[in-house]
Amino acid sequence: MPNFAPTEEQEEVRELARSLASEHLRPYGREAERAANVPAELLRTLASTGLTTPFPEEFGGSGPIEAVTYTLIAEELGFGDGAIAMHVLGSLMGPLTVMLAGSEQQQRAYLPPFCDAQGGYLRHGSLAFAERTGGYTLGEISATVCMDRSTPSGDTSWIVNGTKRDVIHGAASSPRVILARLDGQPGPHGLCALVVPDETPGLRITHDDNKLGLIAAPSASYTLEEARLPADSLLGEPGHPGVVRAATLYQLLRAGVACGMARAGLEYAADYARQRIAFGRPIVSYQGIAFMFAEMAMKLDAARLLLWRAATSWDKGTEVATLAREAEAAHYQALKIAKSATIDTIQILGGAGFMQDHPAEMWMRNAAAME
Amino acid sequence: MIDFTLTKGQIAAREHAHQVAVEEMRPISLECDRTEKIPQSFFLNMQKRFWGGASAQAMQQAQEEAERQNNLYSVISQEEMAWGDAALSTAIPGPGLAAPPILSQGTPEQQARFLGPFLDGNLHWGALALTEPGIGSDVAGMATTAVLDGDEWVLNGHKHYITNGARADIVVTFATIDKSLGREGIRPFVVPRGTPGLIVGRIEEKMGLRASQTAELIYENCRIPRDNLLSGRDGGKKAGFKAAMGTLDATRPMVGALAVGIARAAHEATVEWINEELPASFPSRKRHEMEETLEELGQELEMARFLVWRAAWMADKRIPNSKEASMSKAYAGALLMKITATAVQFTAPGENSERKQLIAKWFRDAKVFDIFEGTAQIQRLVIARRMFPDIDIP
Repeated sequence: MPNFAPTEEQEEVRELARSLASEHLRPYGREAERAANVPAELLRTLASTGLTTPFPEEFGGSGPIEAVTYTLIAEELGFGDGAIAMHVLGSLMGPLTVMLAGSEQQQRAYLPPFCDAQGGYLRHGSLAFAERTGGYTLGEISATVCMDRSTPSGDTSWIVNGTKRDVIHGAASSPRVILARLDGQPGPHGLCALVVPDETPGLRITHDDNKLGLIAAPSASYTLEEARLPADSLLGEPGHPGVVRAATLYQLLRAGVACGMARAGLEYAADYARQRIAFGRPIVSYQGIAFMFAEMAMKLDAARLLLWRAATSWDKGTEVATLAREAEAAHYQALKIAKSATIDTIQILGGAGFMQDHPAEMWMRNAAAME
Repeated sequence: MIDFTLTKGQIAAREHAHQVAVEEMRPISLECDRTEKIPQSFFLNMQKRFWGGASAQAMQQAQEEAERQNNLYSVISQEEMAWGDAALSTAIPGPGLAAPPILSQGTPEQQARFLGPFLDGNLHWGALALTEPGIGSDVAGMATTAVLDGDEWVLNGHKHYITNGARADIVVTFATIDKSLGREGIRPFVVPRGTPGLIVGRIEEKMGLRASQTAELIYENCRIPRDNLLSGRDGGKKAGFKAAMGTLDATRPMVGALAVGIARAAHEATVEWINEELPASFPSRKRHEMEETLEELGQELEMARFLVWRAAWMADKRIPNSKEASMSKAYAGALLMKITATAVQFTAPGENSERKQLIAKWFRDAKVFDIFEGTAQIQRLVIARRMFPDIDIP
């Protein structure tokens, strides 16, 4: 039965995420951008809530992830600060992919460190999704992986070719996971995920310098030329549906952050437009401005509904082709509203929006860097 | 819990409506549009389909469900009907737009008196008369007057753009009892057909929705009984302007659903046209561009539908939904224009193919969805005013 209200439990989690976002993320946005990193203290605070350990309890996590709940959390974090949100969520995507696609042995190897109360919050995993086109659709993944049995020792290994870009924490992460296609096979079933060790022959990692936005979420690009990976680096089995679930989860979380970015801009501009007087009236009382708000709010609600639908499909275990289509649509539309709403925010702030006293210009750069 | 899956009853209602659209509407769609006339057989078939048989079964199932979602049922069915033919869907016998003000403002006695006859198995329509030649969205300047004379109200004025106005058995007519009160002086009256002084004027010729009857009504010393005033259950305090606006909160998602239905029809037809009619020699880069455009429009279509569902869901939950109702209508109306314009641009109608003629028709039907039940601008005003209740946005 159609229902558009989160559960009470989800509302509580959302409320928690919202207060963290406004008390801890929002005030540190500029500082994190200048440092190109997120203060450890802030990560510790987040970790203490359990929001950043969505792993099975047997490994010490706070319970397995639900997409609807985490989409709501992602929106709140993105509302606080998009770059810090991407820093935190990007870090989780490595272990989450292991959780969704990996064997039990692989899960035991990679997950417990992230649940460690002492230092787990400082660990970074990574998931390499985008390639040369920069897009986040499964169809744009073209890196290939082939099995090679010709090693001198007789062991099998995997040979990977391709490029990856915008990998958050990509330069220093463990597990460093990449998405690739087995023998170049198209479609969702051809996807697989592999863990790439630091010292991989044929792997070249370039740290992304001078980024436009999302500077607080450091990223890197990879070139893989006949890169040779050990046999156990493949997560699970080839064609494991968990790979698509991990990829779509990343799309959903990114979309959640994007919705939060749009909402941050909208609300910031709303506060400004209430107070800013021109020709004797608050500027929001002019239809030229008021209609911009109506448009932003309408499109944001529409994008969020599309996102929620995809998230419910993820939670229900909808078959991968449908899930992939829905998550892709949600991601595309959420990024679209994040870009247009943050641009409009600056427009409503006028000259002030261009100045770095206000966060609007940083938010516009962050939204643009999501692509 | 957030959920987008329909219940069995809702799926049954959607399938029933879709079957009606396929069997009763699509076959006569182009002909009715061309002639601006609807055959009597359509009305009789609709009467059968919606007041008995399969429909009754679906309704029965709906009633049995733990939580009834009447508004959601409506928007789900409306989308299918409009997919069939939006103009014909406005002509289906029933109280139509007269129902919401009677249900929200009528006493139980008035509801039984005015809506009871619709269940007698014969063909009946209702209509709503709000718009005047000089007033549209700004109803404060309404010129139609109602004066109490003994036991009767005497109505004088001029209404136009009334859907089903010439065939309606009852017309809920908004008129002012005191012009100096502005909006607050406006009241809804039920005027039965055949009342002396109720005169049907011209029937409009329109660019689209041509099979839908749009009439002018003139009231010349039109006398109706005193208790035909829908005075509200609280003795008239909340009647009038608020009743009119409250009606819109319920009907805007319906209009949004109609827009989604036409848009879906046009989207489907264009996708089919690319798959079936685009020559193999067509440049593949251009074909790919068209497919991408349609993919994106398909996503927006789903967003429009969810906005409509959400607004209807809120109405069912009795959560105030003015903002969300306006969002659903504004978004769907604009998208409908975008999709039908794209369909026309891609398929270049004008040839003698039924698919292309339908696309051309939907393009003409589309524009009014950005206008009636509040223009695109009015919707944005409603949304902005709800977003900024503390600010006066004139």
